[in-house]
Amino acid sequence: MNKTMKRLALVSTVLMGLTGTAFAQQTVVWWDFLAGGDGVRMKALIDAFNEEHAGEITIEGTTLEWGTPFYTKLQTSAAIGEGPDIATYHLSRMPLAVDSGTLSEISDEDLASVGLSDDSFTSAAAQAAKVDGVRYGVPFDQHGLILYYNKDMLEAAGMLGENGLPTGLDGMENFESALAQFTKDGAYGLSMPTGDRYRAVYSFFGQQGGTMFDADAGGFFPSDEDVAKLTTATETMKRWVDNGWTPAQIESPAALALFTSGQAAFFINGNWEVPTFTDLAAKGELFEWGAVELPVLFDQPAAWSDSHAFVIPANAGKDADPDKRAAVMEVIAWMDEHSLDWAGAGHIPAFNAVRESADFQALKPQSDYAGFAATAVFDPRTILAGPAAPLGDAWTNYIVPATTGELDPADAAMQMRDDLNSQL
Amino acid sequence: MIRDKRSEYLAALILVGPFIAIYGLLFVWPTIQMVMLSFTKAPLIGPGQWVGIDNYVKILSHRLFQNATWNTVYFVLLTVIPNTLVSLAIAMAVNRLRGWKQGFVMACFFLPYILPVSVVYLTWNWIIDVQYGLIQYIVRPFNGGEPMSLTRTIPFFMPTVAVVTIWWTLGFNVLLFIAGLRNISPEIYEAASLDSAGRWRQFRKITWPLIWPVTALVLTIQLIAQLKIFDQVYLFSIGGRQDPTIVMVQYVYKLAFQQNKGGEGAAAATILFAIIIILSVVQYQALRARGEK
Repeated sequence: MNKTMKRLALVSTVLMGLTGTAFAQQTVVWWDFLAGGDGVRMKALIDAFNEEHAGEITIEGTTLEWGTPFYTKLQTSAAIGEGPDIATYHLSRMPLAVDSGTLSEISDEDLASVGLSDDSFTSAAAQAAKVDGVRYGVPFDQHGLILYYNKDMLEAAGMLGENGLPTGLDGMENFESALAQFTKDGAYGLSMPTGDRYRAVYSFFGQQGGTMFDADAGGFFPSDEDVAKLTTATETMKRWVDNGWTPAQIESPAALALFTSGQAAFFINGNWEVPTFTDLAAKGELFEWGAVELPVLFDQPAAWSDSHAFVIPANAGKDADPDKRAAVMEVIAWMDEHSLDWAGAGHIPAFNAVRESADFQALKPQSDYAGFAATAVFDPRTILAGPAAPLGDAWTNYIVPATTGELDPADAAMQMRDDLNSQL
Repeated sequence: MIRDKRSEYLAALILVGPFIAIYGLLFVWPTIQMVMLSFTKAPLIGPGQWVGIDNYVKILSHRLFQNATWNTVYFVLLTVIPNTLVSLAIAMAVNRLRGWKQGFVMACFFLPYILPVSVVYLTWNWIIDVQYGLIQYIVRPFNGGEPMSLTRTIPFFMPTVAVVTIWWTLGFNVLLFIAGLRNISPEIYEAASLDSAGRWRQFRKITWPLIWPVTALVLTIQLIAQLKIFDQVYLFSIGGRQDPTIVMVQYVYKLAFQQNKGGEGAAAATILFAIIIILSVVQYQALRARGEK
């Protein structure tokens, strides 16, 4: 693949030499971890970019495996100067990336050169792109945990408002009575993959205003109150399992199937499942569905969130090439400006101009749940955070089993705190 | 014809030279580097400060390391001897077939061995799936009529992965045993039959002692392979609790690649390396000694 590319490049250079036109054609090597619905849409964006910039900039895209494989490969290749020119990155992982020296700084001037600044993005994402005040990434989207619902089931139960949005789900009592009401005849109130439960727990923790991490106050869950809030959040999920409102042990594909086959009224997961339902509905194989922000069960709205961003790896030993950087910034700005197409994958564009546009407002259900971006709870700013990092491991080692009754929620919360603090 | 000693040395050097060079470059040198790395506080990439045996002290007292060691030992107990016995039984059965039938049956048993681990994992993950798995028909009666996830229920995790591993890897051992069985002269069995020795007796007095060198080899290969267990355990535990079922190579992986602690990862890898060398040498010597009695 690479060889043919190189050959093609050679041939085209020779041809260009023959025709006597000489302009600097920039090739931008691009790595991402986007699979499934995300991958399809990103591929389309890259193709559109290449078409629009023919003869000037070409993106050479490669998709690697999400999680540890991607991040390890990026770190090791950047360390020996073989990394890409641009890569996708989770903002929650920024502290670890900076700690390992993988990324190069993106200055205010870099942003300004393509007409961007911090104010172009949601403030949460703009802040998450920085570590100790230095920017290492440009936000692309915000994605988070949302509530999908089966309109037909809700309508039958009289829980659908005039506008087609659910009513009366806020507040623990209301939501739990809804869950109980739909749990009958083999159907469940709620479906969600067991392995992803921690995201809901973290959202409920955020809804109680808990602090997960404070370096100055002693690390993770600094006060007893925070541990108690985590326990309460875990107990909430456990109660739903104990009451049979949601399956105790279920893998991702089965959890999806449960909802799409009409055997669960609600489905809580990341907004990345939107394309799955959109595609099914387009084929006429799905009921009327919608998605909204998570209901507020405690004191304030909050939902787990993360953000895809673009970064420029610090390729060791490679001289800074201003032309290359200009091309990369051009790619980043173009992608953000065209992130409406990306919203098709369910993500909320971090770029204000797109998110506030009439086109996005017309996008359903995206605009129904876009509000979570303002009240999002990101992973805390620590090197243990991010996908495939110790924080995620701690969630699955302590909190997920506490929701299925394998561990006591209070013990699990304390164990999680101690385990994470021991790794700082 | 009298050969010059020197030209013989030269020929030997030319023949083994490339191997020695490559082996030294790709194995010995990195191993030395890894041991050196384990005494530093290095991240995954780049140099680190010299800290002596701190990493070793830290790791040996780490709860997760003790977990990983026990799980690895447990996995070895679950797989090495059962795998060897099952392989021997299958080999003896296959050995009684003749002609194309033998070839066909042998191929059937060998087929799983050539599958990559990802295929094995996906296949078995479907077989044991909670909602749709075939195995649930067997599990249900024992679980009060309810399905149960074998890989998400911690006590069942290791035995399940052990069964999958035995299914996957016994083909090669069967092959070794068949080769060993074919080396036993049929005349010995004929003589035993004339002396009216039964099947069991023939196995005890002829097959078992004569196949012993192969058994010792299989046991040793198995021991080394299972101490290095990683792929299946890692794949089956994705999305679930990893700590209770973590194994040693996974622990190294976690330290080095997830937590960016190159020095500690190297120390854990060095400990594992030492354990494997010591155990396999001890085991092979013990087995050989037994065989020579």
